[in-house]
Amino acid sequence: MIQVEGLTKIFHDRKRGKIIAVDNLQFNCQKGQVFGLLGPNGAGKTTTLRILATMILPTKGKLMINGLDVVKDAAKVRREIGFLSSETGLYDRFTPRETILFFGRINGMEDKLIEKRIAEIFHNLEMEDFQDVRVNKLSTGMKQKLSIARSMIHNPSVLILDEPTVGLDIITAKAVLEYVKSFRDQGKCIIYSTHIMREAEKLCDRIAIIHQGNLVAQGSLAELKEKSSFDDLEEIFFELINQGEN
Amino acid sequence: MNRKNIKLIFIKELLGTIRDKRTIIAMILIPLIFYPLLFTVISYFNRLGSVKSEEAASRVMIDGAEFAPQLVKYLQDYEKFEIIILEDDSPHKLQNGDIQAVLVIPRDFEYKIEKEEPNKLVLKYDTTEAKSRIAKQRIDQIIEKYKGEIVLQRLASLNLKEEFLTPLILQEENIATAEKMTGSFLAVLLPYLIIILIFTGAMHTAIDITAGEKERGTIATLLVSQISRLEIVLGKCFAVMLISFVSMVLGLFGLFIAFLSGTSITGGIEEVQFGISTNIIFLLFLVLFPLVGLASAVLVMIGLFARNIREASSYITPIYMLTIFLGIISISQGMELTGKMFLVPVLNSSFVFRELLMGKIYWNHIITTFSANMIIAGIALFGATRLFNKEEVLFRS
Repeated sequence: MIQVEGLTKIFHDRKRGKIIAVDNLQFNCQKGQVFGLLGPNGAGKTTTLRILATMILPTKGKLMINGLDVVKDAAKVRREIGFLSSETGLYDRFTPRETILFFGRINGMEDKLIEKRIAEIFHNLEMEDFQDVRVNKLSTGMKQKLSIARSMIHNPSVLILDEPTVGLDIITAKAVLEYVKSFRDQGKCIIYSTHIMREAEKLCDRIAIIHQGNLVAQGSLAELKEKSSFDDLEEIFFELINQGEN
Repeated sequence: MNRKNIKLIFIKELLGTIRDKRTIIAMILIPLIFYPLLFTVISYFNRLGSVKSEEAASRVMIDGAEFAPQLVKYLQDYEKFEIIILEDDSPHKLQNGDIQAVLVIPRDFEYKIEKEEPNKLVLKYDTTEAKSRIAKQRIDQIIEKYKGEIVLQRLASLNLKEEFLTPLILQEENIATAEKMTGSFLAVLLPYLIIILIFTGAMHTAIDITAGEKERGTIATLLVSQISRLEIVLGKCFAVMLISFVSMVLGLFGLFIAFLSGTSITGGIEEVQFGISTNIIFLLFLVLFPLVGLASAVLVMIGLFARNIREASSYITPIYMLTIFLGIISISQGMELTGKMFLVPVLNSSFVFRELLMGKIYWNHIITTFSANMIIAGIALFGATRLFNKEEVLFRS
């Protein structure tokens, strides 16, 4: 599970000076749950997820994943997490099988276990037909399946998904959402960032609305509805953001 | 640090590079096929041109032919001359290339020969025209021969032998060993070529697996894996080192084939005896290794710093120019480095290469060069790892 307390991240930019990307965020996500981070571009979603994925360090705050400190036990935390974003590209000159073998190995897995996982994952994601075709010959949908397989190879208990449907056509995006649901059903703890209201509505058990680095509101869709005079998530989102600004 | 992880990154980078068509073109097609083909074609046309000029007769105009009938006859007897007696527009014709040379004979030519006074002939030719230069050489030869005959006649009239003119003979003996001969032949260009080939070989791969990885967004996937950042940098660096070394070897091999194919058409060069000892080869590798490491580490560091491939290329261009500059300095004959100058990377290697190829082993130079380059390569590696840990460098956009 994920526990985040008082997460703050400040960047220093030569031209713009001090930028508070994330300000005192607080949330947690349990096993078998999809926790949505909902916010417009620049809200601080990617920064939060990069910190959780041990790619960058927080300025302040305490972050725990499965009881491990994200800053102090970064190497151990990486064993527990799978990271996927619209930016995590793939190696064009490798085949899906080679890609997964490589990522399995660099995650410290034995070849036998990797082969077993490859058979399992490729079957579940229907990737057998193109497992030996080079990535540069694959369609966007096939590539996204491979990205999911890559993030899942070491069977992580926590999935960090940063806008994984950006740039995908609706059929592929729907398929990705189905996979995320199936991972939740397997008992994984999933943190999912998006700016698409429909996705958050359909997928997330709990939603945190963030705007300009601040947590505006969080709770289940029903709880958010209670805080607002609207029924539709999009309307709720704008109302809560406006309240936050005022 | 886990060696297995370094090996995984190393193999991944190597495989990716080998599967890149651009690598195959740059590493194999260009040196092994394009260089020899280019040399062959250039040599063929060169040879074709020079054969034509050498076979054709030189049209030489003589001004004052009537003052030296004997000399004119001498010239006319030579089959490669077409002698023309003076016409008014001779300077114009020489410029046009209608004739290749004009020989001016003074009025008192015969008189001065008889009186044994120095005689002066004037030869006009165009040094920018190959045919005119050939005509000049031919006239030189004939005049020398004619001069020799006059001297012999004069000696005979004084009852003197031909040996009278050669009281001393200086016989030259070349004591240079085959090793040194090879070295002096190779030492001129080889260090420069090695340095340039190492840098050009390393450049493409170094940029592609650092800035290219950032550009394609694959770097994040490595950062969230079990592998440490030092292991990633080392794996990448070793891959660039191997690619750079292989490119250099293939490049040199290609140039060697090109040289041979070129010279076989032009008719061959003076035979060069190759005689480098195994000791020297070992020492060459000893100096080569830190240089390859240095080039790779510096280029990987720059690639990691850059946002994308374009930015990396523009950062690397001045480094490449500097390398070419240092390489050119190493070509300049007669220049010697002093002790401290062996601390200057690249320049030190090229001078030690030169010394080794000449068969000279100066341990202080070898050790200074090896240590200096290893230390700088180490600093660059450290710098690259530091950069790889800096989030503002990894994720700046």
